[in-house]
Amino acid sequence: MATTMERRMWDLLLILTAAPHSSDVVTSALRLSQAVLDNGGSVRVWACGYATMMTQDTFGDTKLPNTRDPEGHYPSPSAIVQRMIADGQGRFAWIGCTACTEERGATHHIPQVRHRSPLRLAATVAGAKQTLYLGGA
Amino acid sequence: MTTTRTERGPSVLCVLDRAYRGAVEAQFFHALYGLLDLHGQFERMDVALRGAAVTMAVEEDVYRPSVRLGTMVLDTLPDYRGSVRDLVAEGFGVFVDEAAVTALGFAPEQLVAGTTCLDSAELAVRWPQYDQVWFV
Repeated sequence: MATTMERRMWDLLLILTAAPHSSDVVTSALRLSQAVLDNGGSVRVWACGYATMMTQDTFGDTKLPNTRDPEGHYPSPSAIVQRMIADGQGRFAWIGCTACTEERGATHHIPQVRHRSPLRLAATVAGAKQTLYLGGA
Repeated sequence: MTTTRTERGPSVLCVLDRAYRGAVEAQFFHALYGLLDLHGQFERMDVALRGAAVTMAVEEDVYRPSVRLGTMVLDTLPDYRGSVRDLVAEGFGVFVDEAAVTALGFAPEQLVAGTTCLDSAELAVRWPQYDQVWFV
């Protein structure tokens, strides 16, 4: 007997291939995610290319010291994503593309990141009502 | 015999054409911060802002760069005009390309005090005054 598996449907999938420290795309992706979350929706980010750097656990919780403001608190990219995942209470998730992760040597993701093969990209797109591809790799 | 390394690096003109290289991920760690952090190693370091990078020198004191992500309010985003003011205070020459300023709808009078708004050709004529020109 054939059975169908219930699959969770996300409101928005953001495929993020732009590199951090290169343009406004990472900030825009996070702001857009927050706007959807604020409206009660759910968001998944698929990080490709150098976007896989965002969630490396080697950052620790803070950026390196700011020599011009040594006492300042500057959260690391991974700490920001970690906080958004925690605050999202199941409505915000982050996927690290395993191929890009290997290609960039960015293999030390924080534990909240789901590792997913690019062979599952189409299935991930099918699991979202809307997909935005934010390019720039 | 011991030697001490006291010599400073060459005089450098740093040309910036690209203005925006991340906010949430960069925070204080942007191109102007790098120049402020390193310039003491060099005999002289000046900055030429061109293209969209001239907007870094447009004076503005109302907008506060800040974003809320989850329960976190991130108010440590890059403050470029604050960094341009710091460049001026620390003795950098800061040259701003006039054609780019006007093309983007601003006037030279709107630039951070102490910066020098220059015609593109005048800017290029100054290159030989430096040992090196870097495209940052």
